[in-house]
Amino acid sequence: WSGIFSRLTGSKVLSKQDLQPVLAEMEKHLMDKNVAKDISEKMCDSVGAALVGKKLGGLSSVKSEVQSSLSSALTRVLTPKTSTDLLLDIQRKRSASTVSYDNALPDPYTLTFVGVNGVGKSTNLSKVCFWLLQNGLRVLIAACDTFRSGAVEQLRVHVRNLGALQDELGVGEKKVELYERGYGKDAAGIAKDAITYAKENKFDVVLIDTAGRMQDNEPLMRALAKLVTVNNPDKIIFVGEALVGNEAVDQLTKFDRALKDFSGAGTGGGQRKRGIDGIILTKFDTIDDKVGAALSMTYVTGQPILFVGCGQTYTDLRQLRVNHIVQALLN
Amino acid sequence: MVLTDLGARLHGALNQLSRASVVDDKVIDALLKELCSALLESDVNVKLVSSLRTKVKNKVKRNLEEAEKAGGKEVNKKNVVQKAVFDELVALVDPGIEPYKPTKGKVNVLMAVGIQGAGKTTTCTKLAVHYQRRGFRTCLVCADTFRAGAFDQLKQNATRAKIPFYGSYTETDPVAIASLGVEKFRKERFDVIIVDTSGRHKQESELFEEMVAISSAVKPDMTIMVLDASIGQAAEGQSRAFKDSADFGAIIVTKLDGHAKGGGAISAVAATRTPIIFLGTGEHLNDLERFAPQPFISKLLGMGDMQGLVEH
Ligand SMILES: Nc1nc2c(ncn2[C@@H]2O[C@H](COP(=O)(O)OP(=O)(O)OP(=O)(O)O)[C@@H](O)[C@H]2O)c(=O)[nH]1
Ligand SMILES: Nc1nc2c(ncn2[C@@H]2O[C@H](COP(=O)(O)OP(=O)(O)OP(=O)(O)O)[C@@H](O)[C@H]2O)c(=O)[nH]1
Ligand SMILES: [Mg+2]
Ligand SMILES: [Mg+2]
Repeated sequence: WSGIFSRLTGSKVLSKQDLQPVLAEMEKHLMDKNVAKDISEKMCDSVGAALVGKKLGGLSSVKSEVQSSLSSALTRVLTPKTSTDLLLDIQRKRSASTVSYDNALPDPYTLTFVGVNGVGKSTNLSKVCFWLLQNGLRVLIAACDTFRSGAVEQLRVHVRNLGALQDELGVGEKKVELYERGYGKDAAGIAKDAITYAKENKFDVVLIDTAGRMQDNEPLMRALAKLVTVNNPDKIIFVGEALVGNEAVDQLTKFDRALKDFSGAGTGGGQRKRGIDGIILTKFDTIDDKVGAALSMTYVTGQPILFVGCGQTYTDLRQLRVNHIVQALLN
Repeated sequence: MVLTDLGARLHGALNQLSRASVVDDKVIDALLKELCSALLESDVNVKLVSSLRTKVKNKVKRNLEEAEKAGGKEVNKKNVVQKAVFDELVALVDPGIEPYKPTKGKVNVLMAVGIQGAGKTTTCTKLAVHYQRRGFRTCLVCADTFRAGAFDQLKQNATRAKIPFYGSYTETDPVAIASLGVEKFRKERFDVIIVDTSGRHKQESELFEEMVAISSAVKPDMTIMVLDASIGQAAEGQSRAFKDSADFGAIIVTKLDGHAKGGGAISAVAATRTPIIFLGTGEHLNDLERFAPQPFISKLLGMGDMQGLVEH
C-alpha cells in the first residue's frame, strides 16, 4: 500500500525492489511473445537499470513507467541503423561504376541469401526478384544450392512464372533469367560465373540462392564463407523465419561469426571481413502476435530487417513496421 | 534434444541439492528456477513451464508431508524432490499413447502434414527408406501441387533411394493426385504408402480445408505432424490447430542435428497428447532416429543415482 500512497503524492523514487516484480513479469511476457530468453532478460535489465532512482511522475504506476521505457528501448533496437533502401544502393553502385570506367560494362549489384534449412531463402529471393523487376531492373538468379533435391527446378519454376508475369505486362526485353549448372558442383564457382555472365549481358542485379545449412556445420559454413570471399557480394542477407524461438540468437551469431572468421583471407588481402548485412524475416503470416523473433534477430546483429515475408506469393513482401512490432510485443 | 541438455543441468542442480544441509523451500525454489530456466531456453511453452513449476512444487510438498507421516524423520528429502521433477519431465515427453505401427500384409497409408519448410518431403523419403529396409514394400505419393519444384524434389529423393513414387506436373488438384496415387499403389498391394502434402499454417483456413479433403480422400492410418526443432512459442497454437483439423497421431521432430533443443516440439506433444515417433538428424536419407519416450527417459536418467527413480 505504500506504493499506492506514493503514487498519489507523486513523490516516489523507484527502487530495485519496486521494479523487480514488474520486470520479471515483463520478461515472461516478452518470452511468451517469442523473444529469446537471453534477450528478454537483457532488455528488461537495461530498462530496470535506467529506471532505478528515477522519480515516478504524477499519476503513473511502476508498470506504466516500465512499459513506456521498454517501448522506447524496443523501438531503438528495431529501428534500422543503416540504410534499408536497396534501390538507392543499386543505383549508386551502377553510377559509380559507369563514372570510374568510362566505356566498361557496369558491375551488377549482387545479393547473397543465406540461412538454415527451410526458412524461405529461395521463395523470398523470388519475391525480391519480382520487386526488382517491378522497379525496372534486369535480374539474374544464380542457382547455387547444388545440394538439395529440386532446388534448381524450384528456381526454374519461379523464373518461368516471373517471366510470364513480365510478358503479361508487355515488356519486350527479357528481364529475368536463371543461371544454373545443375547439382553437385562448387557453389562459389557457379556464383562467380553467374556474375560474369550478368555483367556481359547487362543484368543490373544478381540474386544468389544458397543451400540451407546448420550454423554448427563447419564444412558447410566454410563453403559459404568461400562463396562470399570469392564473390564479395554487395549484400549478404540472412533469411530467418519468424517461427524460430531461442535459436534465432545462435543462428545469427554463428552465421555472422563463421562468415567473418572463414572469409576475407586470401584474395586481395585488404578485403574487409564480411558478416551479415541485413535480414529478411519470413513466415510472418504464421505467428499471430508472437513477433519476438524480429527483436531477437535485430538485437543480435544490429542489422536491419530489410523485408518481411508474409505469405507464399510474389507480392507477399513488406517493409518492417517497427511500430507494429513494438505494439504487438507490449500488448 | 531438450531433455538431454536438461539432464546435465538438472544433475548439476540436484548435486547442489545433495550438498545442501537442509532441503527447505529456498533450496527447492533454486532447483525449480534452474529447471524452468533450462526449459525456457529450449523453447518450451512459457505457460507450460509455469504450470510445470507449480505442479512440481505442490508434488514435492505433498510427497514430503506424506513421507514424513509415514517414515518419521528419516525421509530422504532429496529423493522425493528428484522423483517429483523426473515424473513431470516424463509426463512432458510421454503422452502415454501408443502410436500406430504399420504391419506387413496390409496396406498402411501414412500422411505427412506440417508448417512450410518443416521438413515433410525430406522426412517422407527417410521414412520410406526406413520401412523399406525392414522389408516393407514402400512407395511415395507427392500431393504437393503448390510449392515450386515440389514434385522434382520428391522424385529426385525417391529415385536416389529407389522408392517407387507417384505425382504429376500438370494436375493442380492435390486431392485428385493423392486419391489416384494411393488407389494405384493400393491395387499394387504396397505395404506402406506415404503421402507428402504442402506446407500450411492455421491462419489460412483454405489450406486447412485442403488438408482435410486430402485426408478424407486417402484415409490415412496414421497422419504425422512434422515439426522443426527450432520452432518457438508459435508451436503450441499451430500444433493444436493441426490436431483439430488433421487429427495427427504422431509427431516427427526434424533438424535436431543443429543446435536446437526442440522445446517447441515438446510443447506440441503436451498440447496435443501425441507421441513423437522419430527424430530427423540431418539432410541425408538415413538421418532418421527412432524415438520412444520411455527408453529416452531411461537413458537420460541413466546417470548414477537417478536410476530407478521413475520405476514405480
Ligand atoms: N506462410 C509462409 N510461407 C513461406 C514464406 N516464405 C517461404 N514460405 C514457404 O516456406 C517453404 C520453404 O521455402 P523455401 O524458399 O524453399 O526455403 P529455403 O530456405 O530455400 O529452403 P532450403 O533451400 O531447403 O534450405 C515453402 O513452402 C515456402 O512456400 C512466408 O513468408 N510465409
Ligand atoms: N539439417 C537438417 N535439415 C533437414 C532435416 N530435415 C529436413 N531438412 C532440410 O530442411 C529443408 C526443408 O525440407 P523439406 O523437406 O523441403 O520441407 P517441407 O516441409 O517439405 O517444405 P514445404 O513442402 O515447402 O512445406 C531442406 O533443406 C531439407 O534438406 C534434418 O533433420 N536436418
Ligand atoms: Mg532453397
Ligand atoms: Mg515439401
